Amino acid sequence: MTLDVIPIHVVPRHTGAALPGEPGLSGNAPPLLRELAEQVRHLLETGEPSAIDLSALPLTPADLDWLREKLGSGEIAVTLQAGGESTLDETACAGVWWVTHRNEQGAVASQFIEVAFVPELVKAHPADVAIGRERLEFMVSDL
Amino acid sequence: MQGPLIESLARQGVSRRTFLKYCATLASMMALPPAAGLAMAEAMAAARRPSVIWLPFQECTGCTESITRSHSPTLEGMIFDMISLDYQETLMAAAGHQAEEALHAAMKANHGKYLLIVDGSIPLGQDGAYSCIGGRSNLEILKEAAQGAAAIIAVGTCAAYGGIPKARPNPTGAVSVSDIVKDKPIVNIPGCPPVPVVMTGVLAHYLTFGSLPDLDDKGRPRAFFGETIHDRCYRRPFYDQGKFAKTFDDKGARRGWCLFELGCKGPVTHNACATAKWNGGTSWPVESGHGCLGCSEPDFWDAGDFYKALSVPAHPPTSVVAASVVGATAGAAAGFANRAKKNAARKARQPITVADLEK
Ligand code: SF4
Ligand code: SF4
Repeated sequence: MTLDVIPIHVVPRHTGAALPGEPGLSGNAPPLLRELAEQVRHLLETGEPSAIDLSALPLTPADLDWLREKLGSGEIAVTLQAGGESTLDETACAGVWWVTHRNEQGAVASQFIEVAFVPELVKAHPADVAIGRERLEFMVSDL
Repeated sequence: MQGPLIESLARQGVSRRTFLKYCATLASMMALPPAAGLAMAEAMAAARRPSVIWLPFQECTGCTESITRSHSPTLEGMIFDMISLDYQETLMAAAGHQAEEALHAAMKANHGKYLLIVDGSIPLGQDGAYSCIGGRSNLEILKEAAQGAAAIIAVGTCAAYGGIPKARPNPTGAVSVSDIVKDKPIVNIPGCPPVPVVMTGVLAHYLTFGSLPDLDDKGRPRAFFGETIHDRCYRRPFYDQGKFAKTFDDKGARRGWCLFELGCKGPVTHNACATAKWNGGTSWPVESGHGCLGCSEPDFWDAGDFYKALSVPAHPPTSVVAASVVGATAGAAAGFANRAKKNAARKARQPITVADLEK
């Protein structure tokens, strides 16, 4: 049995009129688009990345769906296997990434919208690259 | 003290990205701005691991179980990589005189610098005879170990507030760590048992900033205990609409309505269950259909019937929710008050450094 079978209906607190089982919009999502526009402008001007922590905001599941749909999907979808699966998906707005971290049990551990040319997590760290080089040199010496 | 954390993690096959990802989640749970995850990861990766002495007193080992058996060994288990655990009776192989020697050696080698973790209350009745280790009372051991400690972390409600041993009629005369130690900084991580990620968060804060996190009036880290269970409960909309389950198997219960009338103590309980959840994020008590018992508050065992509704109606919808809505409509991604404070640097469009976060 999965958790979804248990009939728990979440009613967003800001819609008043919404009925149980009909999750609605809280009105908190649209301002985030404005915030994102500002962050993208900042990225272009200074090259500095930024992010919005979605788990910290009063957003209903419907708000998140609305945001995701508005932002659309881009050309790149990165899947990271590190202590559970993470997805870093570019949205239709280049430079805006929808990042979901899951734990080993598959539950969402945290969720962000990152504004960056490439999310930090995707880049290889120089120390790790150095280890890769050692490996390659070892292979070459073995030829 | 041993080498930097990142090296010991690498030896165990924990990749840098796994660590970065974990730090991002941890920062989110600690209500730090998103950029803090990276800053924390960098500071922690390079940090030397502090020596930790862990003393179990009058306890059931539930706290140790909660922390060591959390479902993600590479995540919450990471605390054992963050620290150099020099003494922990339940986990160490040594016993008897050997163990006593290990304790004294660790205390001497890192005098003034080690972190002291305590779980369990301290019985004062019968000159402390109710709980002794190696012929010495818990009181005596605590006083000695506290002397050389940089700070003390009281894990679990027993160490923090006396807990179940202190429940009426308190046959052993149990008291908390802060009842005895007055001259050292003490962080309380209450809960019966405590939420594992809080422990990781406090250690991460200590490693990143070299200081203890902000505490509330009951000595608990605000980042995790700043809000009540009720503030963040997903059943809250039903509470606000006056929809309550009346029994554990009625229509309301099946629809997931609020458990207030079944005795939920969520409105008066500060803890992180509603957000951090339990069992690797699977669920938490209210989600499984039972009201909160209030286990992270002092004297929760004597606070009235677990199944009787709180006599005073819960305070009106709190300012936290209102503040966050205002924050969001004002266009600031940071909603919550404490987050807004830490976010000053981000608003000023500066890349965040560890030094900024300390402000
Ligand atoms: S009373 Fe309990 S079940 Fe109801 S909303 Fe508050 S915390 Fe949740
Ligand atoms: S829901 Fe309440 S009683 Fe249960 S673990 Fe959390 S704080 Fe303790």
